[in-house]
Amino acid sequence: MSRSDAAGQSNINTKDGLKKVTVIRNFKSGSLDPHNSWEPLRAGVVETLVRLNEDLELVPWLATNWETSDDQTWVFTIREGVTFQDGTKLDAAAVKASFERGLAASDVLARALKIESMEASGQQLTIVTTEPHPALPSELVNPYAAVISVEAEQKMGTTAFNHAPVGTGPFKVKQFTPNIEIQLERYDGYWDGKAKVNEVLYQFNEDGNVRALALQAKEADIVYQIPAETVEAVQQDSQLRVESVAGLRVHYLLYNQQKPLLQDIRVRKAIDLLLNRESIASDIMLGHATPANGPFNARLPFGSKEAVQQLDPGEAKKLLMEAGYVPGESGKLEKDGQPLTLQLITYKGRPELPLIAQLLQSDAAKIGVDIKIQTVENVDTYLRENKDWDLVTYSNLSAPRGDGGYFLNSALMPGGSLNPINLSSDKLSQLVIRLNATSEIAQRIQLTRDAVDVINQEVPHSYAVYPNLIVGVNNRVINWKPGAEEYYIITNQMDVK
Amino acid sequence: MKLVRKRLLQLVLVLFLLSLLTFTLMKLAPGDPVLLILEADEMSVTQADEAKLRKELGFDQPLLLQYGQWLQKLLQFDFGHSYIKGKPVWDEMIDRLPTTVQLTAGGLLVMVLIAAPLGLLAAKYPGRWPDQMSRLLALIGASIPSFWLGLLLIYAFAFKLQWVPTNGKGSFSHMILPSVTLGFAMAAVYARLLRAGLLESLSQEYIRAARARGIAEWRILLRHALRAALLPVVTIFGMSIGSLLTGSVVVETLFSWPGLGSMAVEAIFQRDYPIIQGYVLLTGIFVVLVNLLVDLCYGLLDPRIRYGKGDWS
Repeated sequence: MSRSDAAGQSNINTKDGLKKVTVIRNFKSGSLDPHNSWEPLRAGVVETLVRLNEDLELVPWLATNWETSDDQTWVFTIREGVTFQDGTKLDAAAVKASFERGLAASDVLARALKIESMEASGQQLTIVTTEPHPALPSELVNPYAAVISVEAEQKMGTTAFNHAPVGTGPFKVKQFTPNIEIQLERYDGYWDGKAKVNEVLYQFNEDGNVRALALQAKEADIVYQIPAETVEAVQQDSQLRVESVAGLRVHYLLYNQQKPLLQDIRVRKAIDLLLNRESIASDIMLGHATPANGPFNARLPFGSKEAVQQLDPGEAKKLLMEAGYVPGESGKLEKDGQPLTLQLITYKGRPELPLIAQLLQSDAAKIGVDIKIQTVENVDTYLRENKDWDLVTYSNLSAPRGDGGYFLNSALMPGGSLNPINLSSDKLSQLVIRLNATSEIAQRIQLTRDAVDVINQEVPHSYAVYPNLIVGVNNRVINWKPGAEEYYIITNQMDVK
Repeated sequence: MKLVRKRLLQLVLVLFLLSLLTFTLMKLAPGDPVLLILEADEMSVTQADEAKLRKELGFDQPLLLQYGQWLQKLLQFDFGHSYIKGKPVWDEMIDRLPTTVQLTAGGLLVMVLIAAPLGLLAAKYPGRWPDQMSRLLALIGASIPSFWLGLLLIYAFAFKLQWVPTNGKGSFSHMILPSVTLGFAMAAVYARLLRAGLLESLSQEYIRAARARGIAEWRILLRHALRAALLPVVTIFGMSIGSLLTGSVVVETLFSWPGLGSMAVEAIFQRDYPIIQGYVLLTGIFVVLVNLLVDLCYGLLDPRIRYGKGDWS
């Protein structure tokens, strides 16, 4: 019995003229409801009006352009010559119907888009938002905002539709087995040129070792998030390669400014100088991370261009002495006879975070700063319910849709869901409020950069590294690279040798 | 019938205690479903939004009241809705159940195929090589964690030999590795149990009488001794059903097998309380029911313990 018989399909052989690619993702999906699952977009079944390009900038997709007159009224021009996989034409009315379904199906989407009303006329879609919402184009990148054929849903019924949604993408769903796999086949009428491969098998498996073995067995061509320790073994196989790209997440330290000790900016800066970003990236993350110089990946248009802060214990000690700490008899820094002891919270959800905590602890000890590490089960609950901590190792997506507004609002504005201690800075708030009212992209980028400058001056957080996305790829796959955004996986361009 | 009635009453009591315990433990456990529902990792959500949803879900109410409301719905056979998927918990479980049953059946088949011949051989030749082999296998089976065994099997049969696929559910070949993983550990235990039971019954008077009458040794083993030896096996089997259903959690995750086990794992990661509660309750019902069936089976296997009026304890 050969494996192809066993698996019921062959991925590798192209003898029959068919080109097939097998992809394994690290998270499961039990439904393909495009307004409640990201997978239809990732699998190339549906598309959105606006997308991110390789440099993570907003570019037109199903909409060719958009403009706003008063920040509440937006006019999107829908691309001509696009058809859904059931053959119907894409126009503004179809997009409107799709959004209406999305707003009803997903509370999260409704909250993100803030749509008051819509009007469709030919290829022109006018959207009026409930409040000035300059970030609307960026929110439309959200996979939940994918455009689907509501007409097809009415014909098929919602249950069947959520197993095989009809969109405008290069691939259509042939068969879906919830939580196991999606079998995709090429949609020949795709507007941007039909796909180079005929079929794609898009599987799910949550076990990293099994995914890596499937790649090594040549059963899969593209495997997401292979465990860092398997990278070497994969690289030793000349038929395979590992793509490691800086993602949109940032690992960082958050300071508890509700405590007087950390209200002193010199103390925060001193700890910032003790954070060995290079070592975290190379030794802890085994090279699969980039040292951070701000909340946003430096590759992003609004990412900081400043140099990464190097480890500098001498300067850190100087700052602490300026803040009134002097070496005591034991060699530890003290103020009024009290040693400088910091309580650092960490959690195991991301295994590298406790290691970052330990590295900081050891570098701090060298200049006489005592850091006590405490591991907690659920960090969000802990931070909200306890106020006795000084530092925490934290990790969040900082720009999930190629825009800085999300992180600035959630993590650095009072009341934000990622801001458990209600940080607030007048200087920063003014910038964020201006950003929230600005729609012009160049201006938004400038304001976000200005905000990052303020953050780097005031040091409410210390950004450590941007962890990489590690993807194992069989060399037979060409014209394909994982994107940092993890939104567009199956494309019409991907090909096999 | 009295036995059945009394056992059903017991079932209700056990399930009630079970549900109370799970409910309390879940509320004590860390994790916040509200943040997960709102996708706070992706969306600009305010603390006010969170508070609103917390209220909508009734999380601001006293724990006892929350439990009472859940129980009240349950009595009307309403298991509630999944927080994350919005789907009724019952539908989700019924969707997943056949897949788990299929895997459990595969595991049981593998178990019987390994355990029965091994146990018989070991009892036929006590102390000789078949017996020693079965002891070794029992030791291995009992000590290998199933996730490791699963990975080893995948390494050998999917990666090196490339005979079977690693992943998913579909053809018959997809079932082989997960079934073997699940069945092997159990087979080890059952082979030894069967051996012990057989040796015990072989030493009985009636067996010696049968031997004296010149009945062939194999015939004695299979027809006379086996029946009595199955008694302890069946007892343990009742308990195994519970561990099979829950033990499949690891195997289902490893082989991405979309059954109840992987549903429970997902729900735990997502703090989807209604699903977790439904799962615990469902497995609870299974375990109690199977144990009841096992007790009823005793009478069939050994007429001496057929239950009379009230003397079933």
